[in-house]
Amino acid sequence: MSDFANETKAVIDAMVAYKVDGIQKAAASAKAAGMEATEIIEAMGAGMSEVGIQFQRGKLFLPHVLSAANGMTAAVKELEADLPIDQVGTTLAKVCMGTVEGDVHDIGKSIVSTMLQCGGFEVVDLGRDVPSPDFIDQVVNNGCTMVGLSALMTTTMTVQEDVIKLLKEAGVRDQVKVLVGGAPVTQAFADKIGADCFSESASEQVDKAKALLG
Amino acid sequence: MKSMSEYCTRNGDGSTLYQNKEQMMQDIRDGTADAADMAGVRELNANEIDHLFEIISSKRRVVGVERGREVVLSYDVGQLDMAGDNGNSGGGIASSRLNGALVHERTLCADTFELAHTDYSIKPVKPVIANEMNDMENIQNNLTIPYFYGAMPNMGLYYAPDGPYGNPADLMREFKIEEAQQEAEKSAVHLARDIEYVSTRVYKAGADGFNFDTTASAGDADFVGTLHGVEKLRAQCPNAYILLGMAGENVMGIHGEIEYDGQVVAGLFPQEQVVLAEKAGADVFGPVANTNTGKSLAWNLARAVTFVRGCADVSNLPLHVNMGMGVGGIPMAETPPLDAVTRCSTAMVEIAKVDGI
Amino acid sequence: MSIAHFVASGMGGIRAAGDLVARMEFDQRMKIDEAKDYVAKKLGVTAFDLSDECKLREVREEQGLGVITGVPGTPRGIAAKMNIEDLLGIKINCCENFRNYAKR
Repeated sequence: MSDFANETKAVIDAMVAYKVDGIQKAAASAKAAGMEATEIIEAMGAGMSEVGIQFQRGKLFLPHVLSAANGMTAAVKELEADLPIDQVGTTLAKVCMGTVEGDVHDIGKSIVSTMLQCGGFEVVDLGRDVPSPDFIDQVVNNGCTMVGLSALMTTTMTVQEDVIKLLKEAGVRDQVKVLVGGAPVTQAFADKIGADCFSESASEQVDKAKALLG
Repeated sequence: MKSMSEYCTRNGDGSTLYQNKEQMMQDIRDGTADAADMAGVRELNANEIDHLFEIISSKRRVVGVERGREVVLSYDVGQLDMAGDNGNSGGGIASSRLNGALVHERTLCADTFELAHTDYSIKPVKPVIANEMNDMENIQNNLTIPYFYGAMPNMGLYYAPDGPYGNPADLMREFKIEEAQQEAEKSAVHLARDIEYVSTRVYKAGADGFNFDTTASAGDADFVGTLHGVEKLRAQCPNAYILLGMAGENVMGIHGEIEYDGQVVAGLFPQEQVVLAEKAGADVFGPVANTNTGKSLAWNLARAVTFVRGCADVSNLPLHVNMGMGVGGIPMAETPPLDAVTRCSTAMVEIAKVDGI
Repeated sequence: MSIAHFVASGMGGIRAAGDLVARMEFDQRMKIDEAKDYVAKKLGVTAFDLSDECKLREVREEQGLGVITGVPGTPRGIAAKMNIEDLLGIKINCCENFRNYAKR
């Protein structure tokens, strides 16, 4: 059992309570108690995951998610002086997100983008009806190591496979992780087209994206 | 060869699954507990759980309600299920709208039906409303069953680039929370106005009423805009049949604070949604429960029945539960399997006590 | 999928009395049992019989309520709906329009 179990719980609870000053206070208290900055940030990350789950279950709403993320950002800034230099200002990975070409639904995709951003990823949101080569361009020329593809129709989900093919043709398939989602998409479909990750919900997508980082 | 003690059932994606009694019962208990926890409704009791197990575990290909317990069916996407493309689960059978309606009435056993535009949303229908009115008049002359006009409120179409308002989800990501909320509120007002425009005109053309499909698909402001639209329709057309069907089991809190009749609508579950639907003037309410493709039919159906039963326990309005691909316990599959569909249909009538599907 | 639902739990529309029960649900916000009782009383059958295609075929033919097969010279469409109005004691929107347009 960690020496800082109480402080960890307090930080997680503050995240779920989503008030910016509450989160900053909990982080400051944990630091004053002797908890390492990296551990405090990890606890805030766990809290952010719980916020995502509560959003999915209808207990918290998008402004609450953003407020929690804001609080975490503010608290991390105050901890920066105690972080190893190579961890300051870093993000987990750079993800390009988009609804595939021919599909104009973007509510779910936008929520996932928001959750990924709140979860510590750098997100390049390409919007909707995105031409497939634009995803490749983000990988080749903009340093994205993850590609998130959303499709809400059975007629457009096949484009997710097309993008994966284009990644292979560009010789970069093994450099990226491909995340797929959308109402008609299933694990079986994701496996069939060779995607790395499928999720039923936005909060699940963040956890699975983090797991892909190893 | 599978053990005789195992039952052939389905996963949420439609694939075959074999479960023994203990596994199936555990999934039923877990599914009902999940819904009860989320929505704050009661779990299914022991009798209901046993009844559900009996329905799901039957070795019959088709499971049906007892004679005398049949209910009525209402529809979405109208004739597009025949004439539409795969995106509408359509058969791609070129057919006139009149033919589509008559086929459903005379050969596909429809109790009600609806006219649907290919672009099945309020915003794109507005500029072509005269065409819709024309077809409604023609078809009503020939049809005997109640015939609605159906469309999705689909407030997402009012956000840039399709519409005149900023996209709240994008603005939220830039931490422009107040601006995002204001854009959502303006969209809701515009949606309500367009609903009034479209629905009153098709009613004037002879429609029996209006089906609002996938209400709140764009979140809480979409729900509020639609409720206000229903109010306007009811005020101008007091005898219109109004069916208000939802998009998900809870109302997504994209705005987070927008209210209807003094109540924040974000996070509302079916038993709370129906109250507002009645206040706005709807006649029939369509609750929704979404299918999880990674879980079994038993889990999904128990969960869906729990949500809907919780709604039925308090609703003054008749309920027509949404039971298409991926909702109401039905697997998310382009060709939903007959065994799963009939089990879900039966369970919703006999356990969730719905008035229609 | 509509066929699957009909087979499992549907009333069958004008094969039997499904359209009539649906009208009462929407017109008067009646729940299923109340709507069935109302329609059954009007038709002179039991609620149990409302999905019985054999019983209801005869009733529908006798009362001009519309049937699923193409029988020349029998009411269908607007004409059948006008008979349904009289049976159920309701007004149907397109029938009102028809009367207004025909100026009768």
